[in-house]
Amino acid sequence: MNFSNVEYRSGPVVWAAVIGGTCLILFLFQKILWLVVPFVLALIIYYMLLPLKLRLVLGGMSHDSAAGWVSGGAFAVLVLIIGLGFPKFLSEAVTWQASALRYLNGGIHFMTVTIAQLEQRFEMLAQAHASAEVARQIAEFSAHFAEKYVPAIAVTLAAWSPTLLLAPFLAFFMLRDGWRFRKFLARAVPNAYFESSLVLMSQVDQTARLYFIGLIELTLLDTLCLAGGLWLIGVSGALLLGLLTAVLAWVPYIGSILGCLLVVLVAATDFPGDPGVAYAAIALFVLVRLLDDFFFMPLTIGKSLNMHPLLTVLMIFVGGAVAGVPGLMLVLPVLGVAMVLGETIGMLVTDPRLRARHVHERALQQQLVTRDLTLP
Amino acid sequence: MLWFSRARQQHKVIHRLANSELFCNLTQRELKIVDAFLHERQFLAGEVVFDAGEEGQALYIIVSGKVAICLPGQHETPLIELKAGDFFGELGLLDDWPRSAQTRASAPTELVVLFRGDFERLMESQARVASKIAMQLARHLGQRLRQMLAQSADGAAIQ
Repeated sequence: MNFSNVEYRSGPVVWAAVIGGTCLILFLFQKILWLVVPFVLALIIYYMLLPLKLRLVLGGMSHDSAAGWVSGGAFAVLVLIIGLGFPKFLSEAVTWQASALRYLNGGIHFMTVTIAQLEQRFEMLAQAHASAEVARQIAEFSAHFAEKYVPAIAVTLAAWSPTLLLAPFLAFFMLRDGWRFRKFLARAVPNAYFESSLVLMSQVDQTARLYFIGLIELTLLDTLCLAGGLWLIGVSGALLLGLLTAVLAWVPYIGSILGCLLVVLVAATDFPGDPGVAYAAIALFVLVRLLDDFFFMPLTIGKSLNMHPLLTVLMIFVGGAVAGVPGLMLVLPVLGVAMVLGETIGMLVTDPRLRARHVHERALQQQLVTRDLTLP
Repeated sequence: MLWFSRARQQHKVIHRLANSELFCNLTQRELKIVDAFLHERQFLAGEVVFDAGEEGQALYIIVSGKVAICLPGQHETPLIELKAGDFFGELGLLDDWPRSAQTRASAPTELVVLFRGDFERLMESQARVASKIAMQLARHLGQRLRQMLAQSADGAAIQ
């Protein structure tokens, strides 16, 4: 006999609570962004290292030792990479300013040439002196860029660096004590809701794990496609450019635009007399974005977030409006977790049999502790 | 000190698990591995562990106390009573099929719970441990089947 005869389906109240909760979480996250960013990075590190740790645990090692070995190993690899790459990094850093200026000038040149070509074709643009106006605005922007933005960027980087160092520490403790925390949480749940809470915790964990692992897979796929395409076109530093653009795409919309700009700047600078290469790079970028939206996303991140595409797009805008760029980046994983939480809590709260069993459990406890307390 | 008491507590739990029907073939090291995936729960006498019709998500092993398996509304006449070392809810570990009977603690009872998701993870990454558990599960289900067949044969003979 099934005591709860009606199959649970989440209604508009639950959905309103999920969307409202997501907005509230994003708003609060914005206030403690210094903690959220390292926490998200720590989650990514945690989900990347967790399979290794589990292998060691299942091989007979204790959780603490396995977490220590895996974290130590990851740290050693990081130190090795920094140790090997730092001299090269330092030697190239000297030329960065010159390279940045070269690429900026290449981009400006490409833009003015393109607008000049357009002016030749469209009378209206020629009458408006579009190329002269654009050249004036770019000159104004680049003249004041250093004094306006460089100090702010430097201060932001300096302020964020110590916070970002929190990420490996958080990841280590997640690896070491995550399973204890899960058991600790499960212990706090009344018996009546216990099995459902295990399912809930498993689903939340799975949603977050699939999202962050999916994000890494998506980044790798994007990098490979962009790097391959740019290499075929003949653009220099194809792999680095592909990786940078794929990482920038973590920020929906804004990241993609910045990535496209970057690709165009490099292509226009490498081939100043051949705008066709820059157009090919733009076409490649659009093609990879389309592949990303229709093939890669459903194969990677889409597996974790089983939600309607319209809701996804709307929530990205809402996330941006509520919490800016961090909101854009965090809205989808937060919404995924909020959906699992909302639907499960909705199901638990509206199940009369589970509520009755919980009341029964409390009554039994009460009976037990008051057994010898009857008045004479 | 905290580490010592934690280790002693773990040793006690592992010792008790070794006496259970499901884990009796596991080595001490394998028991330690399984222990990381288990949850401990305590039930009062008369408390429902799970209801018939509920979606099963976990298997329960009795560490101490007694558990009665009964049809809903007939908890005074249980079908069977299980004791320490026995396990129940095993079908919940294998499929999404609803629980076939209600289970109640008939005395203050301590249970350990193996969640299906954790069992699946164990299957994927520690095949040797999982196969030993699966073998015990299969033996248990075979025993149940033989009992049911014997009962139905007796019933047919009486008729």
